[in-house]
Amino acid sequence: MISQQSALAAHESLEIHEALNFKTLCLAKSKLMQGLVFDQELKDLMEKDVQQSIQAIADLQALYVKAPFQAPVPEFRPTPILS
Amino acid sequence: MDYVDPKNSLNMPEMADMTFAMDFLIRVKEGVRNTAIALTETVSPDARTLLRTQLHQGIAFHQEITDLMVRKKWFHPYDLQKQYQLDQLSANKTVDISKMKLFPDDTTRKGMFDRTPDEHMGGNQA
Repeated sequence: MISQQSALAAHESLEIHEALNFKTLCLAKSKLMQGLVFDQELKDLMEKDVQQSIQAIADLQALYVKAPFQAPVPEFRPTPILS
Repeated sequence: MDYVDPKNSLNMPEMADMTFAMDFLIRVKEGVRNTAIALTETVSPDARTLLRTQLHQGIAFHQEITDLMVRKKWFHPYDLQKQYQLDQLSANKTVDISKMKLFPDDTTRKGMFDRTPDEHMGGNQA
């Protein structure tokens, strides 16, 4: 009970998993699209999204560590990437 | 429709921006909805606090993008006939563009990278 207090429940962990992946994809898209956008104001808003997303991802990662299926993260992808 | 025809690049930057802004708006909107749903599925105080913060941030961001799009006349929430015209025009234009051949058949770009993705694990193991 004492050790479980700081751990996330399984279903909560999956919510964080979805939130983290959604944020990661949005960050990639906002960063990429800045290079295509013409309007400066729209570009600035996307940059703001990039900065907010970086912080949001860091916060989500700090929480995700408490998932029951948490594991040490290797420096590289553990499985080979096949061409 | 020929993409090198200059008449097709008329107003192109604004139409592209309208599409990017709409994508941006939909992503932020989806983020708000997803976060609200996630919030109703969590009990841990840490998770709830973080999700609530991100929900508020998302709502504020949604408003910012909406305001920008309304000001630029890319979005007409109070003039639905205008919005209808815009919806139909964007859909038609995008379908037209997607019928053009924009990219080469082979997009693997092999040989453009100076190292293989699996090099760190001894190269040809993969």
